[in-house]
Amino acid sequence: MAKVNGSAVIDLKGVAIGYGAEAPPVLVDVDLSIERGSFVAIVGPSGVGKSTLLRVVAGLHTARAGAVTIHETKKPGHRPVSLVFQDARLLPWRRVAKNVRFGLEGLPISTAEREERVAAALRLVRLDDYGRRWPYELSGGQRQRVGIARALAVDPDILLMDEPFGALDAITRHGLQDELLRIHRETGKTVLFVTHDLEEAVHLADRIIVLGGSPARIVQDVRNEPGRDSGGFREQVEQLRSGIADNYSI
Amino acid sequence: MRQPLKLHSSIALSALGVGAFLLAWEALARSGVVPAGLLPSPSAVPGAFLAEFRSGTWQAMVFASLSHYLSGLALGTVLGITFGTAAATWGIWDAFQAWVVRMLRPIPSIAWIPFAIIWFGVSKSAATFLIALTVFWINYYATYSAVRGVDKDLIELGHAFGQGGLIPRLFKIVLPGALPGILSGVRAGLGQGWMTVVAAELFGISGLGARMSDASGLLATHIVVLYMVTIAALYGVCDFLFMQVQQRVLAWQK
Repeated sequence: MAKVNGSAVIDLKGVAIGYGAEAPPVLVDVDLSIERGSFVAIVGPSGVGKSTLLRVVAGLHTARAGAVTIHETKKPGHRPVSLVFQDARLLPWRRVAKNVRFGLEGLPISTAEREERVAAALRLVRLDDYGRRWPYELSGGQRQRVGIARALAVDPDILLMDEPFGALDAITRHGLQDELLRIHRETGKTVLFVTHDLEEAVHLADRIIVLGGSPARIVQDVRNEPGRDSGGFREQVEQLRSGIADNYSI
Repeated sequence: MRQPLKLHSSIALSALGVGAFLLAWEALARSGVVPAGLLPSPSAVPGAFLAEFRSGTWQAMVFASLSHYLSGLALGTVLGITFGTAAATWGIWDAFQAWVVRMLRPIPSIAWIPFAIIWFGVSKSAATFLIALTVFWINYYATYSAVRGVDKDLIELGHAFGQGGLIPRLFKIVLPGALPGILSGVRAGLGQGWMTVVAAELFGISGLGARMSDASGLLATHIVVLYMVTIAALYGVCDFLFMQVQQRVLAWQK
């Protein structure tokens, strides 16, 4: 298990995940502590329970066993977790700014603060002038930026991202990966990022959790200190790839 | 293979078709082949309109029918959407009412005429009741399937962003998401409602249908035709106005 430097923002203890009461669990024994401000990628083959693990942290799916603790910052007008989906998932009947506002509705903040936070989130994803557009008027990459702005507007402790760039073309994907790194630097948010793309994980994350086996469990927990902007990129990917292959029979 | 027509040639051909139809009708009526009482000539209709308009009958009939129509339409639409939404979102209620719906649905509104008269007398309320009944079922089914068809991913989105409670889920996700389907139902009800207006008034409630019934009893068939045209025009206006509203409300659709 990797050494914990800062204070933990999420603690998972003995978490197991399954679908339906009868079926065997797909993911077991997940013990994981995630530090505040870190960028953690979860990788592994399809069907291993990556996205479901994210939904358990988001409170959208109940774990079969174990405990999920979120060390929430006690401040008014925020939500502890927020989610970015692969398909952007904008509400087509709301203009861009109102989509970003969606998660803020019902929070105890003034209208002025709400509008300011919407504007700030749109600035952060560089869509300042797009507030009045309908979702159908945006490109795939722009829609995903709106999804990120919506998630950031609620000022979450943890930003959960479920293969957010998986459906985009390569050029848009690379652009958004760099945008995300910039946003992570500027906001200092904890990011839990699910992907099946090892290169994406190595490029973005400072820690990579590899799931594998059947039922799946954590098979590697790698600190990716030199990964970013360094020459060790290829080796990191190869190392992770062989780690998955050892635990995954095709 | 059919070649697509240009817009102006298509409009010109439609106008030509209507003109040819009216001319053939006029020729047939004047030829004496059919007795004048059985088939009025279309040229008699403008005269009938002027006579009915001058006496104030036309305005009174239109006003009476419109008031039956609008009150029945409003009642049936609101109740249909409400019950359709409730059945589609609340499983227990859906199961509870499913067989009642199956029993009542196939009964046409006009079959309720005897009960409408017994309950409400020959009155405006009876007509409103029958129109509301027709419109109710159309809206009930349209809303039910529209609400059931709302993307489950959007509901999950609501839960993820603190909008998963019944009220925010209903008003921020389910109803806006179902709106295109609901409005299609409202529009279908708009048309069916007019058909029921005529049926409801044929048994004596004052309005376009009653006037047609009276006129046909006197073989004043040109007056019958006048009110047929009136109904068609009123429906056309209602449908056109509704389409304008619909396009505005659904501007978010590509």
